[in-house]
Amino acid sequence: MTTPAAKTTPLAGESGPSASRTPPPLTDVSVMIGGQGGDGTLTVSDLLGRYFRKRGLYVYTSRNVLSRIRGGHADASVRASRDPTAAVKPTVDVLVAFDQEAITIGHTELAPHGYILYDSTAFKSDLPNATGFPFATLVGGVLGQPIFKNTAAYGALSVVFGFDPAETRSVIEERFKRRGGEALEKNLKALEIGRKAALEVPGLADRYSVADGDAHDYVMTTGNQAVALGFVVGGGRFFAGYPITPATEIMEYLQRYLPPLHGVVRQAEDELAAVNMIIGAAYAGARVMTSTSGPGLSLMTEGIGHAGTAELPIVVADCARVGPSTGQPTRHEQSDLSHLANLGHGEYPRFILAPGTPVDCFEMTVQALNLAERWRLPVILLLDQALCQNTTTSPRFDLGRVQVNRGERLTGEAVAQLQQYKAYRFTDSGVSPYAPPGTPGVWAEITGNEHDEWGHVSVNPVNRVRMMKKRLEKMVKARDELPGAHFFGPADAKVGLIGYGSTYGPILEAQQILAARGKPTRFLQARTLYPVPTQEIDPFLKSVDVAYIIEHNYTGQFARLLRETMPWHYPKLRSILKYDGSTFRAPQIIAEIPEVA
Amino acid sequence: MVESAKPVPPIWCPGCGDFGVLAALKKAALEMKLPPHELVLVGGIGCSGSIHNFLEVNGIHALHGRLLAQAVGVKLANPGLTVVAAGGDGDGYAIGMGHFIHAFKKNASIIYIAMNNETYGLTKGQPSPTSQIGFEGNIERPFDAILTALSIPAPNLIARTFSGDPKAMIAVLGEALRYTREGRGFAFIEDLSPCVTYNDTYKLWREKVLDVSKVDGYDPTDRKAMFRICLETMDSGRIPIGVMHRPKQAAREGLETKLLGEAVGPARCALELEPNLPAYQKLLASLA
Repeated sequence: MTTPAAKTTPLAGESGPSASRTPPPLTDVSVMIGGQGGDGTLTVSDLLGRYFRKRGLYVYTSRNVLSRIRGGHADASVRASRDPTAAVKPTVDVLVAFDQEAITIGHTELAPHGYILYDSTAFKSDLPNATGFPFATLVGGVLGQPIFKNTAAYGALSVVFGFDPAETRSVIEERFKRRGGEALEKNLKALEIGRKAALEVPGLADRYSVADGDAHDYVMTTGNQAVALGFVVGGGRFFAGYPITPATEIMEYLQRYLPPLHGVVRQAEDELAAVNMIIGAAYAGARVMTSTSGPGLSLMTEGIGHAGTAELPIVVADCARVGPSTGQPTRHEQSDLSHLANLGHGEYPRFILAPGTPVDCFEMTVQALNLAERWRLPVILLLDQALCQNTTTSPRFDLGRVQVNRGERLTGEAVAQLQQYKAYRFTDSGVSPYAPPGTPGVWAEITGNEHDEWGHVSVNPVNRVRMMKKRLEKMVKARDELPGAHFFGPADAKVGLIGYGSTYGPILEAQQILAARGKPTRFLQARTLYPVPTQEIDPFLKSVDVAYIIEHNYTGQFARLLRETMPWHYPKLRSILKYDGSTFRAPQIIAEIPEVA
Repeated sequence: MVESAKPVPPIWCPGCGDFGVLAALKKAALEMKLPPHELVLVGGIGCSGSIHNFLEVNGIHALHGRLLAQAVGVKLANPGLTVVAAGGDGDGYAIGMGHFIHAFKKNASIIYIAMNNETYGLTKGQPSPTSQIGFEGNIERPFDAILTALSIPAPNLIARTFSGDPKAMIAVLGEALRYTREGRGFAFIEDLSPCVTYNDTYKLWREKVLDVSKVDGYDPTDRKAMFRICLETMDSGRIPIGVMHRPKQAAREGLETKLLGEAVGPARCALELEPNLPAYQKLLASLA
């Protein structure tokens, strides 16, 4: 084997590589892997993530891919930390570059002590702190296929980080055992090729070490997977959707999970059909959901309004991405909130819930199903790309916290006790007890037209006013049942931070950095966005001198809702906004807060 | 006896072709002794889509063009229900065209009755997808639902009826009810249903309709033959009516059976935590 075209330079601030000197172990490390789509960058981050998990670390992986199957630059990053984390690390410790663009992009984020491993088959780099390995040639020469270069890179990284060789290997075995045989064997060979190449470069071995953690009883999951699991355990048995990034995985997971439980998953011809199929199934009495992203949500708007006025319980998971129009399908944004709060023509009640973590995704999907049936209206689960697709080390999901509450559902026996069965009966709660079609002895009319208690079309103005109140007052009456905010930081802090969705991770990290500097802040993670939970946000805003609403859009959509519902707090509210398609890094948040920066 | 929603008087103009469909549907359902609580009528938007208000059955009034998506949702959630979707040609062939085509492909065991009057009656007589050239300034060629239906190779029951021939309509509806209740798949019936106010075609259609079963070579199990018969009939200036396709095999090809087998379906299965706990624990344990 040839010696790689190596170019080693000393670590910044060190006199030179020395096998005798062991640097202090890193407690928070990030590796970014960039290359052309199809180079297998995601595999490298996955392998590293698996290794770090074996060492008890909290792992967070994110990706930056183009909306194409192959080609184009794509990068993935993995962060491993002794402390819980749900954010991208502001700096990159080690960059693996399969193409020049990876260096162009990654170099700007490289930490002062950072290091670059690159594939010198593809290009040459003159940067200090960079070592080139002809990964593709090395692997191609032995295995005949250069595609295993990603596993070779993992091998080289294992040397740089001083990984335990046996555990490094077992990660490969676990990852490829299902494909078995040749795939496993070739990947193991590629691993050894990468390890050997790195070991031959003087001073590269054990350049870093990573401290072990104690996060053992945890799982690696994504928001999309957690939503799918929450749907199943919450009694969801009917799902229809249409493929769309970044929501598709919800449908794909359910295609695996639901059929064994006699549930139905359908890929519809479009989002119009998807939402109307779940409306039909909800009418028939099933627990239902669809998932989509901005463009699909625009199409589903018609159907969601129909469910709102026909009082049919549906759950819609909106996995937000960059909009409007096709926007940036694979990139992160939180710009659907204004649309959702005002969704559709006319007025009808809806709840918008915003999970911030996989546990939230799991538990709040169950809550969404319960709320939809209990209040007979559409419930929106508002997610975002980072929450949907990034993998997080999460506490295990707790079935003990799952309750299935189907609301006032009439069985055949209950119906038999009635004088009359009216599908839209006026009640104090505004919710009419429901007997699905097929309930012996009764039938009903369900409609999106304005209707009387029987479901017959009505233009009677007195009835119209009563029906509007019946429906819209649900948003006031249900208030105490909606998921409450989570609060972090001391109650007497005078700087408030408000966020929702995946900003939970970066905001929490910013808060911890500030706390370490003696700058206390209080963070309100909103989990119900609409109706605006003024009962919890108003006292919060009263308790602080200034509040920063941190969100991924241009116009400050949640801030606008807060100003509209609590105008007396107008002077206190500031926005921290990011709409470049990527997630917040903690320092970016801190830099926007003059009171503490 | 619990009092349920009572039918309201139809909103249709006297003489509307839709009355024929209503009467035939009632008769066919009664002949089969279908209990009202097991029948779901999914209505579209337009005059014909209000049909569900005029019968003592479960009715759901869908959005314009979306009735087939909702009807499929109902059937897959509870395969025990008999589901009939009914709407007009604007609803089904214009705004609902995507769902219309896919309904054949999906092949859920539901009936779809498209009442075709070649106009948008409720909005006062605009041209529809089936309007003839010249009708209200229409310069686009009319769409033919039967030819379209025949072009999709799926085990569907396909027929065209005429409101001026109630006897034939009752027979076809009866067959469609049996077909879907046996779980064989999608049954599509286009009914020629004249709009007496904006496009009164009774006289014209009575002269033009041709019962294809009387044509030489009629064989509804032979898609190719039926396509040819329809085209030739149309070329001669006539309108083909009758059963246009009936699968050779009497098999349970319905989508609901393919997905659920004998299971009761999502609307009726046990959703509570307790009975499902072992399955859920296994599912969560699969997370690494």
